[in-house]
Amino acid sequence: MIDLKNASRRDFLSISGRAGLATLVASAVGINVGMVEVLTAGTSKKITPFRFAILTDAHLFSIDDHKFDIFLAQAVEQVNAMSPAPDFVVYGGDIAQNGRDDQLVKGRKILSKLKMPIHFIPGEHDWYLDMGAAWKGHFGSPTWSMNHKGVHMIGMNSILVRDFWTAAGMSAKQRMDTMEMLESPIAGPWGVREEQLEWLKKDVKALGSETPVVVFTHSPLWDYYPRWNFQTEDAPEVRSILSKFERVMSFHGHVHQTVYNKIGNMSSVGTLSTSWPWPYPDVQLAYPEMRMTRSDPAMIQDGEGPQHIDLEADFQGTMHYDPFGNMLQPSIKDGFKI
Amino acid sequence: MNKKRVWAAIGVLAAGGALSLLVGAALARDPYTREELAEQEKALLASVDHGRDLWHGSNPSISTNGLACGNCHPDAAASNPHTFPKYQADVGKVIALRDMINWCITTPQAGKPLDADGDDMIAMEAYAFYLYRGKQIMPGLATEQTSPVVVKSGVGYPKKGSGVGYDK
Repeated sequence: MIDLKNASRRDFLSISGRAGLATLVASAVGINVGMVEVLTAGTSKKITPFRFAILTDAHLFSIDDHKFDIFLAQAVEQVNAMSPAPDFVVYGGDIAQNGRDDQLVKGRKILSKLKMPIHFIPGEHDWYLDMGAAWKGHFGSPTWSMNHKGVHMIGMNSILVRDFWTAAGMSAKQRMDTMEMLESPIAGPWGVREEQLEWLKKDVKALGSETPVVVFTHSPLWDYYPRWNFQTEDAPEVRSILSKFERVMSFHGHVHQTVYNKIGNMSSVGTLSTSWPWPYPDVQLAYPEMRMTRSDPAMIQDGEGPQHIDLEADFQGTMHYDPFGNMLQPSIKDGFKI
Repeated sequence: MNKKRVWAAIGVLAAGGALSLLVGAALARDPYTREELAEQEKALLASVDHGRDLWHGSNPSISTNGLACGNCHPDAAASNPHTFPKYQADVGKVIALRDMINWCITTPQAGKPLDADGDDMIAMEAYAFYLYRGKQIMPGLATEQTSPVVVKSGVGYPKKGSGVGYDK
C-alpha cells in the first residue's frame, strides 16, 4: 500500500530497488502482491537513530511457575539478545491479570532482568482492584514524557472509566472482575480523561511542529472496536492536541495482535502480548495485510512475543514483530515502515 | 361397472377420507401456543446464560491455570461453532464442537473435561451457537477465524440485568 502523495523521491527509489517497478505499478493499481509498503513523510527535524522494544500484556496470575511467567521471561531474554540492543523498553500495560500486588511484584522481578531501562504505562488489569495504588507504588506515575535522541516520548493512562461501581455497591474485587472481562458492557468506554488531556496540552506546548513525537497508551488511539475497548474514547482530543506535529507515532497494547492504522499525522501500531492472542473483531481494516496468521491453539506460544522499532534519522520507523513462533504473514515478516 | 356402482365407490372413498381427517385432527396436537414458545425460549436462554458463565470461568474445575474460554474467545469469537464437525489436525480425526471445547479445557486451560452429554457442555455449546446465530453452516472450515453476530451492547442475547456488573 503506497502513499504516493507523500512518497519522496528517495522513498520511490527505495521501493523500486526493493520490489521492482512491477510491484510499484501493481500496488498503485491496488493489486496485492504480498508486500506491505506504508510510506510516510518523515519530519524535517533529524534525530539520532535508535531502537526501542515493547513488551506488553503478560497477564500474570497468582500461580507459581505459571506458563505466562515463563513466556514473559522468554521475551525478556529475546529483548536482551537483540543486536543492536534497544535503548530502552516500554511496557504497554497489563502486567497483572487480577490487579493483585503479588502479580505486579512478580512482573517487576521478571522485567528487572532487562539490561536496558524500562518505562511503564498501566492496563486495566493492573488498575481496578485498588485504583492503581499498587501499580503506582511499583512503577511511578502512569503519565510521563521524556526526550530521547531528538524524539519526544509520551506515556499516558488510557484505561480510565467512569465510576460504575459506587452506585452498584460493588466490592473492589467485583470492580476488578468486571474490568477483566473484555466484552463486559458495564464498565463503558475507556479514556485518558480531562486531567491527562490538560497535562498533554502543557507537555507539548513549547515543542515545535517539527518535533518527532511517539506516544504510548494501552488502548488504541482510534476507534477500532469499541465493544472490546479497542478504542480510547477521547482519542480525538489526543489526536487534536498532537495534530500540530509533522509526524506522530502511536503504539498501543491491549489488542494482543498485529494491527496498523493511520489517521492524519498519526500512525498507530498494535502489539503482540506475551500471554494469548485476541481474535480479530469483525472490522474492515484499512491495512489488512498487517493481520497475523490465525493462531493455532495447539501451539501455546503462537501469536505472542515482544516487538522492537527502529527509528531512522528522518523519523521514519520500521516495526518489527518478534513472535515466539512463526506466525507472521510474509507481508510483515521482515518488518514494515510506519 | 355401471354408474350406480361408480357413485357408490366414490361415496365410500369420500366417507373414508372424511373419517381419516377427523381421526387425524383428533390425534394431531395444536401448534405451540405463544406461552409454550416463550417457555421454550426461556429454557434455551437459561442454558445460553449458564454457558456464558462457564465460558467466563464460573466452574473452577475446567481450568487450573486461571484461563477461561473467554480469554481467547470474547463474545465466543473465533470459536467457529458453525464449522464443526471438522477434521482437527491436533486430534487426527473429525470432531464435534464439544470435543473441541473439551480439548481447550484440558489443554490450554489444563482443566478437567466436562461430561460430553452433560448440561454444562450443552450450555457451552448453546452459548457459542447462539452468538453465531444466523451464520452460514460451513462444516470443515479450518483455516479462517470467523466472527459471531455483532453485539452492540449487553451480553449478546436477551437477559435481564443483575445490577452487579456482568450484564446490562
